[in-house]
Amino acid sequence: MWGVIKSVLAAFFGVQKEGQRRQDFEQGRPVPFLVAGVLMALVLVGLVALVAVLASR
Amino acid sequence: MRTLLVLLAGGGLLAGSLQTALANGWNMPVGVTELSGEIYSLHMIIFWICVAIGVVVFGVMFYSLFRFRRSKGAKAANFHENTLVEVIWTAIPLLILVGMAVPATATLKKMYDASDADLDVMIIGQQWRWRYDYLGEGVAMTSNLATPRTQIRGDEPIDASANYLLEVDEPLVLPVGQKVRFLFTSDDVIHSWWVPELAIKQDTVPGFINENWVRIDEPGIYRGQCAELCGVDHAFMPIVVRAVEEEEFEAWLASRREAAEEEAMGIDREWQMSELMERGEQVYGSVCVSCHQQEGTGNPPAFPALAGNEQLLSDADWHTSTVINGVSGAAMPAFRNTLNPVEIAAVVTYTRNAWGNDTGDSVQPSEVAERLSD
Repeated sequence: MWGVIKSVLAAFFGVQKEGQRRQDFEQGRPVPFLVAGVLMALVLVGLVALVAVLASR
Repeated sequence: MRTLLVLLAGGGLLAGSLQTALANGWNMPVGVTELSGEIYSLHMIIFWICVAIGVVVFGVMFYSLFRFRRSKGAKAANFHENTLVEVIWTAIPLLILVGMAVPATATLKKMYDASDADLDVMIIGQQWRWRYDYLGEGVAMTSNLATPRTQIRGDEPIDASANYLLEVDEPLVLPVGQKVRFLFTSDDVIHSWWVPELAIKQDTVPGFINENWVRIDEPGIYRGQCAELCGVDHAFMPIVVRAVEEEEFEAWLASRREAAEEEAMGIDREWQMSELMERGEQVYGSVCVSCHQQEGTGNPPAFPALAGNEQLLSDADWHTSTVINGVSGAAMPAFRNTLNPVEIAAVVTYTRNAWGNDTGDSVQPSEVAERLSD
């Protein structure tokens, strides 16, 4: 679980260790990555909205 | 090390010359509203961030090219990935971007807040003039280019004391210190109402209404232009804003309202031929002349000649309704909203009797008013 989150975070950031990437592709199943990706996209949208609200105060 | 110093000095020189260029009118104006000042500051902050990034990146690059050149026996490193370096070069731009986005968002939200305005002005783009309607005040006007066509064509020298191609017959008059909301739309194609000193560049789109607002701090004349290519006379529809003190604005508005009421009363009376001709020549000179030309010769095939035009001469009804409704699918716009009945009657009468079109007949404002109400 934590491994999936870490890998999705790395994908959002755009940088991943080669070894970790290999491991994810060889051992992981795709569905948990997809779910984590969608959820994290929502969190990102929330964060951007939060920054926008704070910025205009 | 010495090379690095040289590069840094070069960077400093670049920044210095940029500063000089900016101070000499190459930059955007600070403007005359609170928001235009904020936009200017944002622009400058982001500009200097970009300059710093450019100096650092190219400095490191040129230094490396020079210091580690092959003739000095440099050997290229051969490795595939380095997560730490990648994290650093991702995190730094991220921080820079968020750092720029925070103040920019704050300004953007203020720009979009057009609520609680003291005055609403509708700005309507039209090929090739602007119309201003002070909503709820009973005052509306058409703002045409005031530079004579003869100067544009080069038949007479340009008047150096005037503002060539940046002058209009009717400036948009606005009060200082008040929040003015603009509603933008267009009658034909997309135009863009652009006044740099007010930090407004807003598209006017047919069928849509865009919003923007200003609160001008200083009285003065502010000039702008259409910023969206809109046809052959795109360059000839400038914008002039005259910002005045509130009392002066109220007086101006009242006098305009009175004049509009007087004009409305004039619709019902019988007009003399000479009155209609005089008024018609004025209207022709501001509205029609750009396409149909000074002598009514037009510019065929897009803009037909009016002088000696058979259809026009034989059919006054057709003539009037063409001015009112325009020609569908052609360049001729409908003037039913742009000109009032007096102006339409006058310009029809004028074009039926000028440049050898001696029909001798006149069209009365009351007839036009009747048609408009149909």
